[in-house]
Amino acid sequence: MKILFFTGKGGVGKSTISAASAWQLSRKYRVLIVSLDPAHNLGDVFGVVLNHKKQRFTDSLYLKEVNLQKLCREYLQREISVFTDTYRYLQTINLDNYFSVLKYSPGIEEYALLTSIEDTLRSERDFDYIVFDTPPTGLTLRFLALPWITITWIDRLIKIRRDILEKRHTIYRIRGLLDDKETILSYDENDDDILKRLKTLNGNYQALSSVLQGKDCGIVLVYNPDTLSLKESKRLIDGLRDLKLPLRLLINNKIQIKYKAMADHVDSVIKSLAPAVPIQRVAFSERLIDGQNSTLYDIEETILSPFEMK
Amino acid sequence: MISSIVKWVRRIFADFDATHREKATALTVMEMEELENIFALLLLGSFAGFPSPPTFLAVELLPYMERELQILCKRAKDCNDMLAEMFGTIGID
Repeated sequence: MKILFFTGKGGVGKSTISAASAWQLSRKYRVLIVSLDPAHNLGDVFGVVLNHKKQRFTDSLYLKEVNLQKLCREYLQREISVFTDTYRYLQTINLDNYFSVLKYSPGIEEYALLTSIEDTLRSERDFDYIVFDTPPTGLTLRFLALPWITITWIDRLIKIRRDILEKRHTIYRIRGLLDDKETILSYDENDDDILKRLKTLNGNYQALSSVLQGKDCGIVLVYNPDTLSLKESKRLIDGLRDLKLPLRLLINNKIQIKYKAMADHVDSVIKSLAPAVPIQRVAFSERLIDGQNSTLYDIEETILSPFEMK
Repeated sequence: MISSIVKWVRRIFADFDATHREKATALTVMEMEELENIFALLLLGSFAGFPSPPTFLAVELLPYMERELQILCKRAKDCNDMLAEMFGTIGID
């Protein structure tokens, strides 16, 4: 199974290009396209109404829009219910509803997005390609960085935990138990619940990280021939390099003959930043502007032609 | 009579042994508790205004952290007199 993430600045045409790529791939392969953008327009591009469940478009193409708000709500509801269960007595004086403020916790959106990607990769193994249409750069970089940030934290915490267990073992060996009432603090790695949980979490995130950094995963950067788009693309290329995520294809979208010089300039700068990555050009299409055409996903260029995932 | 004296002597040696073992590990116990305190502080740092790890990581480990939380609270209570506690542990009067 191959995984593609289409990313780029807001408004560059990520949804259209990812939809067109999914459509073109579906002529040969079984493809699922998932929109992670909170401002969905995958349904608009394909001219169908999506209700946050996987929906069949053709025999080989399935569409899905992820409901980010619903995911966040579900996650926080689980946490809030743990708190309200613990502090059940507060219900008697009507103070339990104050925990609802937890729904404004920062960082939850990224976690919800990552969980949604993890679930999709785990449950949709029948497809040859899974195409993700991602939110604009900032949020995408944050959620793609999350496995790496989490692994870094877990590594540090595991090290401290091991030091604690080593000291507990030393103390137990020298001193033993002072009396019968004293309980033995766990000093073995296999007995310590915290270390066991940390190791499990580490395993999960290492697995996800190796999938994202692996040969079957690719990031496709979509940009326009303009200065703002160029600047944001530079940041994204740097961010992806820091995270060791594989940038596989660059797409210069909405090119017009009258601005060809600008398109050439943008491409040359981008090429200098990622010399080994092929660039594909997609012309500006007036047909896509009127919005009346129901085949918005069917663009002329073969988008993924310079890029083959073997 | 003799057996009670032997018992008494044994008890003295046992207490002597326990005292020395206790003394030998006092510093390591303090180090361990400090490490547990640091562990809790790093994980739940947002309580004290520190930058914290991803929220869900703290939430995942919270159910197993009763001892660490107790130490965190004890340290918060004793923090005004930490120097005295350290001097006491390493035997400086």
